[in-house]
Amino acid sequence: MPRYELSVILKAMQRPETAAVLRRTVETLFERGAVVRGLENLGERRLPYNISKHNCLHTHGGYFSVDFHASPNILSGLLDHLERDIDVLRPTVIKKDVEVSKAQCCGLQNEKAKSTSR
Amino acid sequence: MLALSFSRLLLQAFPKQPVTPRATAQCIRSLKTSQQDPPKKDDMPIKMENPYKQPPKTCILCNVIVDFKNVQLLSQFISPHTGRVYGRHITGLCGRKQKEVSKAIKKARSMGFMSVTLKNPQFMKDPDICGIKQFE
Repeated sequence: MPRYELSVILKAMQRPETAAVLRRTVETLFERGAVVRGLENLGERRLPYNISKHNCLHTHGGYFSVDFHASPNILSGLLDHLERDIDVLRPTVIKKDVEVSKAQCCGLQNEKAKSTSR
Repeated sequence: MLALSFSRLLLQAFPKQPVTPRATAQCIRSLKTSQQDPPKKDDMPIKMENPYKQPPKTCILCNVIVDFKNVQLLSQFISPHTGRVYGRHITGLCGRKQKEVSKAIKKARSMGFMSVTLKNPQFMKDPDICGIKQFE
């Protein structure tokens, strides 16, 4: 199963309400057969730009990241569900790629050689 | 005529001063070495790695993971006035890293991590990597 990361921005709320939203998000994931690896809190910050969602303009939000393994079939359904949730401002799922090998890193010299040879 | 040439011949054959070989430095050296063992191979250059070798040139983000969540790092490669991503000739990054940074910035913008038109004021005082002279 491929590995995904759900970056979700929640409305700026009190702690118990935020906990409730996260709980139901993760429960949704479980229902759709995902294996949740971990949940990270990236802090509550001021949004880089005002986000108007569900008929309301937001300036602050709580950033959370959920790491999970799931089948690719569920993604569209999951995003649909999250879009309907009033407390979620911006849900995004991205695929987590395997780390690139460091041996290939930095071919600055090779690049310069190539550019000069042209 | 014949007598003159004959006398010259005599002078050449029997010079007044005997010509003895001069003891120059080269002669002494050749005399000495001929007496010793055959020449050893200690004079050959020793094989070693180049002592003046410089470390391979790398770009500043070599072996640094570029992530869309790391907004502070990404903000170092955007203009503080317009929020636009700097080009390769300004950042000095290698091809791979420049692409990664540019992709991460676009991702962060769309996901709501980074602003599009401005640079976060908190990160304005970060050290200048790109070295671009801002018009003041």
